[in-house]
Amino acid sequence: MKNKNMTRYAAFVAAALVAAISGAGAQQGVQPERRITAISDDATRSVVIEQLTLAKESGLPAGAMEPLMAKAMEGVAKKATSKSIRSAMDALQKRLRKANDLLAPSPTVDELSAGADALYVGVPERTLKQMRQAAPRRSIAVELGVLTELVARSVPPAKASKMVLDLMARGATGAQLTAMNTAVQSDVAAGLTPEAALDRHGRGIMSLLPPPSAVTGANHR
Amino acid sequence: MIDDTAERDELIQRVARSLSPLPPNDTHARARILAAVRARAAHAPKPWSVVFDWMRQPAFSVASAGLLAAAALAIGFVTRGALSTLDMQPNAIASSAPATNVTAIPASNAPAAVRAVPVPITFDAPGAKNVAIVSDFNDWDSTAAPLTRFGSNGPWTATVNVMPGRHLYAFMVDGKLVVDPRAPHAHDLDYGTDASVLMVNTP
Repeated sequence: MKNKNMTRYAAFVAAALVAAISGAGAQQGVQPERRITAISDDATRSVVIEQLTLAKESGLPAGAMEPLMAKAMEGVAKKATSKSIRSAMDALQKRLRKANDLLAPSPTVDELSAGADALYVGVPERTLKQMRQAAPRRSIAVELGVLTELVARSVPPAKASKMVLDLMARGATGAQLTAMNTAVQSDVAAGLTPEAALDRHGRGIMSLLPPPSAVTGANHR
Repeated sequence: MIDDTAERDELIQRVARSLSPLPPNDTHARARILAAVRARAAHAPKPWSVVFDWMRQPAFSVASAGLLAAAALAIGFVTRGALSTLDMQPNAIASSAPATNVTAIPASNAPAAVRAVPVPITFDAPGAKNVAIVSDFNDWDSTAAPLTRFGSNGPWTATVNVMPGRHLYAFMVDGKLVVDPRAPHAHDLDYGTDASVLMVNTP
């Protein structure tokens, strides 16, 4: 009798999955539309719609509309002109497309956004690809965020990329990477060069971690 | 002997006097603790545990589950049909329903393992009437995450749910954007206005 019945939980999950899959297209499209209504300026609203339509037509995944929409609303909050908003959205769209390719096969919204931000500050494209290869089955949004901050604080991109990739290979946690970033910033504020500060704190964390071969499985989860 | 006792009493009284004033009140610490407590309370799983207990019970036959799946399929397609009729044209947008408040939790297709993290926020603005946090995680919407004043003249506080990663934010203080003086700043080349940086770890 037990085999013939399924739990309410299993039935609920199955129903939710079916509903989600069949309605997914609609859900992804409706949220930006609601937010567009909050834009009072006609010219800005037209620009936002135009840019979102272009992004959709260019084949960007539906999730990429989230950061694009946020960029538009940031411009609205900062009282930017419609021309500035168009320019910012266009540039972000290009970075998102690039990030989508580099973080393939299925980056999350947060990874796409973080990847685009990393490219914005000058992180090499190759690094994004290597980071995805180092952790193909888990989100690397935190790692990308730390790398972006390091480069934004004038750590040379190649040096910052190597350190983050080395730490990822050894299984450093997001908390360890964030702590390293905070420590680097403190040292830079105290007068140390960004490069020296990264070297100091990166090596410090490295010394606490096991060799790369021992953590391959963890990154692939 | 009497002198010794009097001296000792005097000494005890002096020690007691020096210890009796309380240390200065750290309003930020109190605000942070209260915000963290509120965040934890907000994430208490009690109502859900009742639902999950109900769902764990074997009650559906395969046939009834099939019916449920069919109903879900129908709901999904009806929803898709209804919502896809919304056209992304300026006139259609302008005439549709007014905007609703945007939640501080962003829509995301992130893996199930990655969840939004409650982050306590505090900000000093003694003379302000309204303070809100605006960020990429709430579409820079000043109605999405308002802060409340702690006490009559204390710091403004809120707890926002944020996905792990790097986020840019600012405070909207009485309609004016203000960066957080206690956080690192990021230069914004797009709009020429700096923002503050918030790093959120995976829980």
